[in-house]
Amino acid sequence: MAPITTLHYLVVAAALFVLGVVGVLTRRNVVVVLMSIELILNAVNLNLVAFSRIWGLQGQIFSIFVITDAAAEAAVGLGILIAFFRNKETVNVDEVDLLKW
Amino acid sequence: MQSHILSMILFTPLVGAILLLFVPKDNKDAIRWIGNIFAALGLLVSIPLVPLFWAQRAEPGFKFLEGTANNWIPSIGAGYNLGIDGISFLLIMLTTLLGWVSILSSWTAIETRVKEYYIWFLVLQTGMLGVFMALDFFLFFVFWEAMLVPMYLLIGIWGGPRKLYAAIKFFLYTLFGSVLMLLGILFLYFNHHTLTGVYTFSIPELYKTAPQIPFHYAIWLFLAFFIGFAIKVPMFPFHTWLPDAHVEAPTAGSVILAGVLLKMGTYGMIRFLLPFFPGVAMDTRVRGWMIGLSIVGILYGALVSLMQKDMKKLVAYSSVSHLGFCTLGIFALSPLGLSGSVLQQVNHGISTGALFLIVGILYERRHTREISEYGGISNVMPVYATITMIMFLSSMGLPLLNGFVGEFTILQGAFMENWKWAAWSVPGVILAAAYLLWLYQRVFFGTVTNPKNEKLHDLTPREVLTFAPLVIMAFWIGLYPKPFFEILEQPVNQIVHTVRPNYPGLNGVVNASTQPTMPATEPEALIRAVPPAANAKGKK
Amino acid sequence: MTPSTLQTLPQGIEYVRILPEIVLSAFGIVIMLLDPLVDQRRSSRMLGTIALIGSLAAIAASQYQTQCPPGTAFWDMVRVDAFSIFFHIVVTTVTAVVILTSFEYMDVQQLHAGEYYALVLFGAVGMCLMSSAVELVLIFIALEISSISTYILAGYRRRVAISSESSVKYFLLGSFATAFFLYGVALMFGATGSTSIAKIGETLNAGPVPLLAYVAIALMFVGLGFKVAAAPFHIWTPDVYEGAPAPIVGFMSTAPKAAVFAVLLRVLFEAHAPGRLWLIWVVAALSMTLGNIGALVQDNIKRLLAYSSIAHAGYLLVAFAALPSSGIPAAMFYTAAYAAMNVGCFAVISHFASAGERRVTLEDYAGLGRRSPILAATLTLFLLSLIGIPITGGFFAKFYVFSAALQADLVGLTVIGVLNSAVGAYYYLRVIVMMYMREPREETPVAPIPFGLGAALAISGFATLYLGLLPGRVLEYARSAAALLR
Repeated sequence: MAPITTLHYLVVAAALFVLGVVGVLTRRNVVVVLMSIELILNAVNLNLVAFSRIWGLQGQIFSIFVITDAAAEAAVGLGILIAFFRNKETVNVDEVDLLKW
Repeated sequence: MQSHILSMILFTPLVGAILLLFVPKDNKDAIRWIGNIFAALGLLVSIPLVPLFWAQRAEPGFKFLEGTANNWIPSIGAGYNLGIDGISFLLIMLTTLLGWVSILSSWTAIETRVKEYYIWFLVLQTGMLGVFMALDFFLFFVFWEAMLVPMYLLIGIWGGPRKLYAAIKFFLYTLFGSVLMLLGILFLYFNHHTLTGVYTFSIPELYKTAPQIPFHYAIWLFLAFFIGFAIKVPMFPFHTWLPDAHVEAPTAGSVILAGVLLKMGTYGMIRFLLPFFPGVAMDTRVRGWMIGLSIVGILYGALVSLMQKDMKKLVAYSSVSHLGFCTLGIFALSPLGLSGSVLQQVNHGISTGALFLIVGILYERRHTREISEYGGISNVMPVYATITMIMFLSSMGLPLLNGFVGEFTILQGAFMENWKWAAWSVPGVILAAAYLLWLYQRVFFGTVTNPKNEKLHDLTPREVLTFAPLVIMAFWIGLYPKPFFEILEQPVNQIVHTVRPNYPGLNGVVNASTQPTMPATEPEALIRAVPPAANAKGKK
Repeated sequence: MTPSTLQTLPQGIEYVRILPEIVLSAFGIVIMLLDPLVDQRRSSRMLGTIALIGSLAAIAASQYQTQCPPGTAFWDMVRVDAFSIFFHIVVTTVTAVVILTSFEYMDVQQLHAGEYYALVLFGAVGMCLMSSAVELVLIFIALEISSISTYILAGYRRRVAISSESSVKYFLLGSFATAFFLYGVALMFGATGSTSIAKIGETLNAGPVPLLAYVAIALMFVGLGFKVAAAPFHIWTPDVYEGAPAPIVGFMSTAPKAAVFAVLLRVLFEAHAPGRLWLIWVVAALSMTLGNIGALVQDNIKRLLAYSSIAHAGYLLVAFAALPSSGIPAAMFYTAAYAAMNVGCFAVISHFASAGERRVTLEDYAGLGRRSPILAATLTLFLLSLIGIPITGGFFAKFYVFSAALQADLVGLTVIGVLNSAVGAYYYLRVIVMMYMREPREETPVAPIPFGLGAALAISGFATLYLGLLPGRVLEYARSAAALLR
């Protein structure tokens, strides 16, 4: 069996990235869109950790920052969503339509 | 030591405008007085310039220089540089005179938002004077653009029923032209840097390098500047904003628009187009097009005037025709044509300015400009009818009055270059007589047909006062134009010498040190200066 | 602790290099702590005053930084030089103006002031940090500090549906953009083995550029393009600007933009980003054109200015395509001029909008020239500056950008730019037409201009005129700053 190289990780990360982008662009539920964004961030983390194999620890430290930031972003995002839900009673992106796109 | 007379002339109106800011807006009479005092003051401070300038009329180059190069924004090489020659001297005097006349004429015409009106008018005055005085291209452009705003507001706030349309059209047309010109200015600026290593917008400096641009680049630059100026003049295909703007503008606005603003276009052509791109200007095809457009403008403007039912529109289209003579004179490229053109610009300012005042006076009394509403006015307003007759005759070019001198000189200049040009333009003079006399006949002769016209009162002393300087000037230029030609001789000869170094009979008057250098051969440097994409620009 | 570790700890001067950020954070925290302690009715004015003092202190701190020798701090994470100080001053001044504008706005809209001022200050921390960060990790964190604050601020009128909706949109698209940026950063790390901009620059300059670096730059550019509202990543802008509170729109259309442009300048020029020319060429041309065309048909002044900000991002990007020696100072000057005029515009808008932001359509502005001459005159000044009429900062900014572009032989782009600025004049004129040439629909007098707003208008108006009449000093400063960047 061939050893798992950095390239393999990169391919997985790229796949996650594409999944995330497609999710953001096609899914209609705001919470799912939020999760898709998290997916992209995880792709980023995977990349950083994989590159750390070549370039050293820096990438891993960076990925910790990314994880922390993702948490902060999710917290604020859900808060915003709740405020929105109180006004509109929906989490469907299609109904986010008071302002024309 | 530098004299500061130009700065004084330039900023007197602006001082008035700033002062007006502090006058309460309900005190209309105080505002009117202050506005008029500063307009008159603007004229008064410019009068000492006449003897001063006369004394040094034959000296070469720009006079009354003010400021040093690069003193304003040193990092890009822009400076507050003023200076005048014979051409700008005449136009400055015209501006201060017409500025005073038109502000005086608005005393009763403007009843709403009086304060803003006088403020904007005085600001406009400063902007126009700046255009004629600037010897720095950046400064020139600043004045050129800044002047758009007050004119836009004058049309848009105090104008007629379609004022919004007219104001925006005026603004956008002119802005479109000036952004193209800005590109041209920047090209010259970088070209100068490539050739000399100095970044400067100084116009006398640029005179030295711009003519060295090879023809295939210069033609695009010429076009960029030409469109900017032609829109302002306006020359034939670019003229459509003019009737709208003129008809909708308040009377004083029309006077200034016709009298001074349009001259900025022809002034630009004389000051920049010819000396910057002598090679292009002398190119047979380019020159042919310019002359052709001028002749089309002359005939088209005159023919359309003939058809008008609205007096103001008639005068507006007659401007297109008259300005056609001016551009014809410019592109005749001979001393006669050019000096005739400048003189005709002054004449047009005087006579068309007066025509707009005349229309404005009737409009103020009757609130209509339809020719068919009038008839037999000479019975009720004899003084008015007399003044109108004088100004009509001056506008159509009758001997002894100013229009004749200008048009005759232009035609003579054109004739000496190519008799066909003159032949094609002469019908313009005849048509001018036709539409003006016909207009006069319909409005003034006969009996009073419309009962509303029976009670019209004749000119008030203030109104007579507004016409007086114009009538005096019309007779002066008509009877004794020699001083004007003497003032114009030196700058005109110098320009002709730049464009046509071999033109006979100029060698004595041109000082070699101030001439632009002739096209030289430095191909590598020039290709760096003007990128190949310059060609793509023009195609867009 | 051994002496050697002590020496590696940050020295005093290094704290000075993040002094504005420290000051802003401290004041932000103080406001958060005081918020529950002070009386509800008086809190708005008091907390606002504290925030104002904080922003003024931050301006002073930025000024103080000019006295200190330029250099890096915190293990080469931040570098303070003339370049970053320039942006610090822009950001902190905008913050002060926005806070001045908000005094009255918070009262009129009956919003709770506590977190508002704190978030404005925290946002400013992120923006200041962004302009001095020279390390992609720190840039990312600073970007997030500024973004998250503005997400919340956009939805601050939380009882108003369009405001919370604009917040949701801003948040979703903003974090999507951040994710793109991050992915680009990760790839750049992979391609060069470093996250320090200087080291990336060395690596990219030294050898053949790996394909990965191109992809990385493109992705980072997408992420940052979102933040500055450059086409084709601009779709969120009109919606968010329409829904967000007016002073906040003034804030987020200027300060974060300036900071992100600073980041872009560093990433593109200092890191010797490959393939930048065509990327920027296309994005700049698209932004100018789409922004101006979009603005032509708008009836809501906030949406109109949103499209105008897209167009202005385009003009600004033109400078990025130019040669560094003239492009960087042009871009810097433009951000400053744009900040002055746009924040002024929104100061007028937030005053005139009244309770519930009722008056935001162009029709509402009919006859403003008569109803409130001062308000109309200042708005006219800012609009003329946005058009680019001489003696205003906007004119000189545009002039300088286009001349930089011509110098770099970008004739096509320059022609697109100048034609666009002529087209753009039309919609700004529509507002002026409304104010001066239409009869007012209602004769109710506009509320008198309170002191805070007056100060805000005076500052931004003065800056607009100063940058237009005497641009020399600022330009010289920007040039000397740009020289450090290469």
